[in-house]
Amino acid sequence: MIGTEQYEITSYLYAVRAALGDLPDAIRDELLEDLPEHLAEVLAEAGGTLVERLGPPEEYAAELRASIGFVGGFPDPPPTPVPLIELRDAVLRRLRVLDVKAGPLFGYERASEFLILLRPGWWVFRGYLVAMVVAWALDDSGQPMGLLPRIGGSEVVALLLLAGAVLGSIWLGRRSFTFTERWPRWALYAGSTVLVLVAIGGFASADSSSRDSNYSDVNYDSNSGNSFGGVQDVFVYDEQGRLVTGARLFDQEGNAIQLGNPYCNDPSTGTDERSQHMGYPYCPESAPFASSSLSASATPSDKRPASASPSAAVSATPVPTPTPSPSTGR
Amino acid sequence: MDTTQLLKGVLDLAVLAALRDEDGYGYDILRRLRSAGLDEVGDASVYGTLRRLFNGGLLNTYVVPSDEGPHRKYYALNAAGRAELQRSGKVWHDFASTMGDLLRERGTA
Repeated sequence: MIGTEQYEITSYLYAVRAALGDLPDAIRDELLEDLPEHLAEVLAEAGGTLVERLGPPEEYAAELRASIGFVGGFPDPPPTPVPLIELRDAVLRRLRVLDVKAGPLFGYERASEFLILLRPGWWVFRGYLVAMVVAWALDDSGQPMGLLPRIGGSEVVALLLLAGAVLGSIWLGRRSFTFTERWPRWALYAGSTVLVLVAIGGFASADSSSRDSNYSDVNYDSNSGNSFGGVQDVFVYDEQGRLVTGARLFDQEGNAIQLGNPYCNDPSTGTDERSQHMGYPYCPESAPFASSSLSASATPSDKRPASASPSAAVSATPVPTPTPSPSTGR
Repeated sequence: MDTTQLLKGVLDLAVLAALRDEDGYGYDILRRLRSAGLDEVGDASVYGTLRRLFNGGLLNTYVVPSDEGPHRKYYALNAAGRAELQRSGKVWHDFASTMGDLLRERGTA
């Protein structure tokens, strides 16, 4: 019962406050200072809800406004309905109601009380984002920046820049409460919006690059990404210039390197079909250089699957040999 | 002319007068004004007036705990409040008698 009364008082109070939104904060706050207690007193008298007893909050606010003599000297400004401002007020009203309703989810009276506690965290994160943006703008080394604001690939610079930006952001955060004029506030909001967009973009790219690491994390990245991104097939030629078929690639750990797609385009039908070949190349028919063995000898090369090539090609087909490292590699 | 307009000018005085004999909390004062015949007074007007008179240094407040329901904030006239009641009351009487004379001379009352 107490809960519903408290809720009724709070929502009535919010509506009154919203209707007095054009008053200077200090005057409004002073005017409303005792209103919660007063509304509780009213509610304690017998009979009906606050709206039934006191009328709509907007009317109550108008009466209150008249009683303080704030508009005494000059007539009320005519109520010019500005659609944008009305829309904003309507949205704000909804948000306030939502704020109160969502509060218990976080264990507070209002959700915003919980969110306010997170504000210093945002300051720190904002400092990090600023450092990243600064580094991104200043860095022309062409090296990947990673998750630290490196300039010229230097960790020291990155950490110094990060520390400076975070401290600056905290300082600004503590000072921003004193911004009374409009433009510094708006500049802050606009800057924060840009940073949030940067954060979303950075998150998306970091996320996708960590998901694709199986294919692209080959350390040959230029700053624009993986230079092997466009590779569809791999053709290995031996020292005589003969195409090696059934070749397999391994890294220093003995892990198989996967490049390209095991699909071949059949020029006669124009369809893509799954490669019938073990290892590289997937599509010997599309070899970029004609194999010298094709005319010189009968060494099986580009026309046959690797599994069926018993002779010279086999020596160049390093299936088992490059995997000596299970003992050393791991 | 309606009473609401007139009331605006004398609400301060009315609230001071309602507190002359006995302290009261907001809703209590509203009830006194209404039972005295000022039916058009609204709660917000009384609340706003109390705030203003209090900020003007004419009233003292104290809180009385209540067994059932919320605590109540009582308002009381202080010395400055009593002086203001006296002064404003005199202004009102002068004004009212002037208006009375005026209306009698013109034969409308």
